[in-house]
Amino acid sequence: MKMKKVLCGLAAMTMLFTSTACGKEKDDKVTINLMAFTEEVPGMVQKYLDTHPDFAKKYKVKTTVKATDNGAYQDALDLALANNNSDSPDMYCAEAAFILKYSQGDLSKYAATYEELGIEDVEGKIKDAEIAQYSVDLGTRDGKVVALGYQATGGAFIYRRSLAKDVLGTDDPATVAEAIGAGTNSWDKFFDVAEDMSGKGYAMLSGDGDLWHAVENSSSQGWVVDNKLTIDPKRENFLDLSKELYDNGYINGTTDWQEGWFNDMKDAGPKKVFGFFGPAWLINYTIAKNCDGTAVGEGTYGDWAVCPPPVGFFWGGTWLLANKDASDEKKKAIGEIIEWITLDATKDGLQYMWANGTYDPEAPTKDCVASAKVMAMSDGKLDFLGGQNMFDVFVPANEYANGKNLTQYDEKFNKAFRDQVTQYVEGKKSRSEAIEEFKKSVKSTTKVEVD
Amino acid sequence: MTVGTPNSSKRLKRISYAKYGYLFSLPFILAYLIFSLYPTIYTAILGFTDCEGIGNTDWNILEGDVFANFKWVLQNELFKKTIKNTIVIWILNFIPQITMALILTAWFTSRRNELKGKGAFKVIFYMPNIITAASVAMLFFTLFQYPAGPVNDLLTRFNILDKPYNFHADTTASQLVVAFIQFLTWYGNTMIVLISGVLGISPDIFEAADIDGANGVQTFFKITIPNLKTVLLYTLVTSLVGGLNMFDIPQLYNQGGPDNSTRTSSVFIRDLAFSNEFLYNRAAAASMIIFLIIAACSAVLFYIMRDKDEAMRKKEIKAAKKASKLRGGMEW
Amino acid sequence: MVKNKYSKRGSSPLFLTVAYITCIILAIISLFPFVILIINSTRTSVEVQQNPVSLIPGTNLFKNLEFLDGKNNFDPLKGFTNSLIISVSSTILTIYFSTMTAFALVAYDWRLRKPFFTFIMAVLMIPAQVTGIGFFQFMYKIGLTNNYLALILPAIAAPTVVFFMRQYMIPALPMDILHSARIDGAGEFRIFNQIVLPMMKPAMATQAIFAFVTSWNNLFMPMILINDPEKNTMPMMVSLLRGDIYKTEFGAVYLGLFLTVLPVLVVYFLLSKHIIAGVALGGVKE
Repeated sequence: MKMKKVLCGLAAMTMLFTSTACGKEKDDKVTINLMAFTEEVPGMVQKYLDTHPDFAKKYKVKTTVKATDNGAYQDALDLALANNNSDSPDMYCAEAAFILKYSQGDLSKYAATYEELGIEDVEGKIKDAEIAQYSVDLGTRDGKVVALGYQATGGAFIYRRSLAKDVLGTDDPATVAEAIGAGTNSWDKFFDVAEDMSGKGYAMLSGDGDLWHAVENSSSQGWVVDNKLTIDPKRENFLDLSKELYDNGYINGTTDWQEGWFNDMKDAGPKKVFGFFGPAWLINYTIAKNCDGTAVGEGTYGDWAVCPPPVGFFWGGTWLLANKDASDEKKKAIGEIIEWITLDATKDGLQYMWANGTYDPEAPTKDCVASAKVMAMSDGKLDFLGGQNMFDVFVPANEYANGKNLTQYDEKFNKAFRDQVTQYVEGKKSRSEAIEEFKKSVKSTTKVEVD
Repeated sequence: MTVGTPNSSKRLKRISYAKYGYLFSLPFILAYLIFSLYPTIYTAILGFTDCEGIGNTDWNILEGDVFANFKWVLQNELFKKTIKNTIVIWILNFIPQITMALILTAWFTSRRNELKGKGAFKVIFYMPNIITAASVAMLFFTLFQYPAGPVNDLLTRFNILDKPYNFHADTTASQLVVAFIQFLTWYGNTMIVLISGVLGISPDIFEAADIDGANGVQTFFKITIPNLKTVLLYTLVTSLVGGLNMFDIPQLYNQGGPDNSTRTSSVFIRDLAFSNEFLYNRAAAASMIIFLIIAACSAVLFYIMRDKDEAMRKKEIKAAKKASKLRGGMEW
Repeated sequence: MVKNKYSKRGSSPLFLTVAYITCIILAIISLFPFVILIINSTRTSVEVQQNPVSLIPGTNLFKNLEFLDGKNNFDPLKGFTNSLIISVSSTILTIYFSTMTAFALVAYDWRLRKPFFTFIMAVLMIPAQVTGIGFFQFMYKIGLTNNYLALILPAIAAPTVVFFMRQYMIPALPMDILHSARIDGAGEFRIFNQIVLPMMKPAMATQAIFAFVTSWNNLFMPMILINDPEKNTMPMMVSLLRGDIYKTEFGAVYLGLFLTVLPVLVVYFLLSKHIIAGVALGGVKE
């Protein structure tokens, strides 16, 4: 009977823990339910409560964070919104990969317009703060704004100064930009440089995934037009670009977010890599962390610079939404928070702290914010970039970025498409077989029509 | 046999034992009706409806062709592929798994060999089942990374390969790895089930075999295996059900890739139901089809391993009834 | 399986060599994930990113602990308690009621017995992926979201466990023991609790481990049913650590995973004695 005793013991322990876990004090504050997929937005809301004591006296926030793993966040959010009850989120977040579903797609019916939240003159404020247009486009439903972000995630080419000097003779961003054909909307010059890099034993990029975000965003049509699968010629062309990169050894063959890719940021791959395509957060959160140093001279720290990419793109970002079924009182309160995060372009707003690395004194990282006005007042100089002011490049980059070719299918279709690209590039399939298989996947898992 | 005192016989007379069958099954039945049957029937019905889209509560039985969803699923090329994948991966994992588990069971339950550390090995072999399948799948994905992953490092360092191989783009390699993870997480579980089955066999039988001078191999095949049949059936059926519902390992290993080679039918169904599609009706139809396939496979298994014990048990109960009737006439 | 070909007592050297090598290889492979888990929980995020499999421990264990401590949604003690409540309750329910149901199937002759068993066999085969949809919607309807009962009560009906218990009970439970107990005047309920349960101990220990592990590691159901961060289970908290794919703290995630697996290991080691000792049904002999 020992087992029984063990189980009884465990049960008793359980009871003990439960009883101590209860017994919270009561208060009459209004509770705002917040649902997010990272700690970032909850942290900002907490910051708002901390810096606005009057507000904190009346409201408190109950946060639910769920990871985006395997769509768990979306599953939970969708059900919580659909089952409109007291636990339903009043305020919630969406990432670039799925914002359209909540702002314009199947679940946009739950989103309140910013006007309904008591934010006056939304249009005027957007103009005044100079919010990047693509982020407004993505958050607009029938001409009304329902979602905005605090970051700007327009992308640039983030390259190695030493390799530029070696191959192009200079590390000056303007010259490098010229050499790779920045803003030309064509990859020709970029591949010319890749050939030169290859001649000196360098790789142009780490993997073909690095090119994908730029290609995806530069296409004129999204994956689905009028419920029909559309393969934009530029996206189809990615098969050839990728093959060229692979066959000519312009890449190390890594996959983004995997070991080899991280290693390429500190020259630990088979070949040194010239650069990565990405927005400002990629510098702070990823490259800087993996550069094997924390000061100039250590690892690749300080040996980086940014210049505009051949084709404009954006990557990532978080949008804030509010539930239209929340009470008027809550809506107004959420409106205040959202305005502070997304539209306040003064030095008291969140974005100023975010851009200048003063938001979290313990981890000062500068990031691009949605408001170009805030960035103009801020200092984007980074030692990591050899003293370059990154805002000089990222502010214009946000204008290139285009939110009009996104669809709510992107996450899934991109994955399926790139899977087939790999099959083709590795020589396991012909080009047309790869396209056929992609079409088959789409047809078999969605209601999208396929020719 | 002791014959009951007149007093107890009298009491026994009044009791209908059949009611205890119902009484003891009641908690199961109630919980099942509430938490499983209702959702299951609900799902089955969904297969015949137009229920699509998140939070849709306003759905109707399809007009015209009631079987439209089933037809869509059956004509779906990817669905066929996923069934093939599922079966291939299941077989690749199950045959080594049951073989290994049986061998280990034979070794660990034999009273003759002098294998030391049996206990420790038994404990260790089950351990992979304790970690979430998700973690193990992620770990193996990392192991096989390209171009720089531990496996590639090893293979190139010892000149087995002259340059790193992209395992993640190879369909056969991926199926093998998924099958191996499945093997690793479940062989210990199967072994424990089999061992506990052997422990359930009455020691008398083994003693008799000993006296008859049977050796270890003979004992295993002539005594252990036949007596283990019911537990083996359990293993086969649960593994079949588990295998055909295989979800988290292929999903987390490479989200069904490359080239859909590790996409199992469960991953397919989930993709239809969630993952932005919310085609509940088609997902429901697909799961009903899978259910029919599993049911058919299990029926075959049951036929092959017909439960003769059950028949014997019935006889035993009948005999006991007769005996008790003779004794005191109590009802069963 | 070459054993005992050569001598009746003792095993041949060949058999022992093969057996030991097989067992040692299997043991290494089986322990490997744990080793990686432990080592990676002492390393920094960057170290893990750049070199995910290493046998050399790092020095970042305390930083990782601190990181976990700093996360406002990560509270190991609370997660542990919550998971324990759910897992212990559902394990007890599963084991007790499944054995009881199996007993009903084996020991009594009632009219619906055969159909009931067929029914259990049938429901055992229903794929779980999609019946989930119906389950969630039902739980939302009756307001059992954010309530552990929705995670615990379904454990009463565990068809696979009933099936196992039944298969195990058929050869292990002789009818005459029941009969003699009845004649001694024992009630059916008492017979079950005092005679049948002890006989089923090896089977119960086995299934208890399985049930506990399954319940402890369950992420899918709680993820959708639990909305209140106060009620998050241990695996939920760990999955949150991975939340931000753009800046995951891998060292801390591995530490979290290790902390999650630790209690299961403890329970497993406690129960494993019963499997190894192999209580060989003393009750069978008369």
